[in-house]
Amino acid sequence: MSASPVARQAVAQAKPQTIPRRVTINSPAELPNDYSTTPGGTLFSTTPGGTRIIYERNFLLQMRNSPLAKTPPKNLPVIPGVTAKDNAVVHRENGTIAEEPEKTEPTEGDQFEMDL
Amino acid sequence: MSTMVNKYDALKTNDDSGEEDNGTREIKETEKPLPPLEVKPGEHRLQYSYCIWFSRRAPGKQATTQNYDQNLQLIGRFASVEQFWGHYSHLVRPAHLTSHSDIHIFKDGIKPMWEDSANKNGGKWIVRLRKGLASRCWENMILAMLGEQFLVGDEICGAVISVRFQEDIISVWNRTAQDSLTTGRIRDTLKRVLNLPPNTVMEYKTHNDSLKHTHSASSLLRKPGPPMRHDLLH
Repeated sequence: MSASPVARQAVAQAKPQTIPRRVTINSPAELPNDYSTTPGGTLFSTTPGGTRIIYERNFLLQMRNSPLAKTPPKNLPVIPGVTAKDNAVVHRENGTIAEEPEKTEPTEGDQFEMDL
Repeated sequence: MSTMVNKYDALKTNDDSGEEDNGTREIKETEKPLPPLEVKPGEHRLQYSYCIWFSRRAPGKQATTQNYDQNLQLIGRFASVEQFWGHYSHLVRPAHLTSHSDIHIFKDGIKPMWEDSANKNGGKWIVRLRKGLASRCWENMILAMLGEQFLVGDEICGAVISVRFQEDIISVWNRTAQDSLTTGRIRDTLKRVLNLPPNTVMEYKTHNDSLKHTHSASSLLRKPGPPMRHDLLH
């Protein structure tokens, strides 16, 4: 905090170079794989229960597009309407689950709106 | 060397992941634990390994402990973030499942049944969702569980999404129903991470009560059940 005027000047001069480039990222897939990880690649945090491996939601979502996450699971049973065949991926998009419109088809015996 | 052994063991057990057809099967506490999963270099290990199960109740068929057990189908296991996404990307979202389908994601070694030793003193938070919310809430739910966002130590057993005719239900199971600090914390975390509409109703139910009410139509997972089983009712 008590840097000499010379040092302060040096910092001030160096500053423009340290401002990071602005990079437009259009898809989370363009993020570097190690974005927001610690050098070990894992986020650790100490909690009352001891040291546990904790991941934030955004970090998990980013991992979705990493090459390792694209390895098809071994021996995935094919259940029609539940799992995809072979290497077909059902959905790969990241963080884009929008609210779907409520079912509007009329259902018999449902004349009263329930206040849940 | 030991990793090689594990690798092949894992392949072997995945092959017979379907439920046995042994009709007289009781809940086996002695079921052989599945071998540990391998986490490859570069993958992000999770605090726990998990199993994904699927079940669908046949329409009109009465659910009993036995056929509930037999309907449970192991879809896969994962121990890292990457393995999770590998499976999840091959599963349809809850919004596209047919009615009476359930997806269960439970910690390795805990069966998604009340009778499992990890569950028998436990209970679950029940969140009823109007149609249209399930896919997003379920994904948030899983990510919070896998990322250890609940901060309740070992208490979480797993989570279930139940697709029903007019609503979808997310349940989070924990080990100790009487532990109000834990259940309170789970509720608060659910409220925070699920991004629920403000008027969403949440209800806690002990598995013991679920067993007692198996007869009543309000039972979420198993409608009219077998005669009450006194072993679990004290």
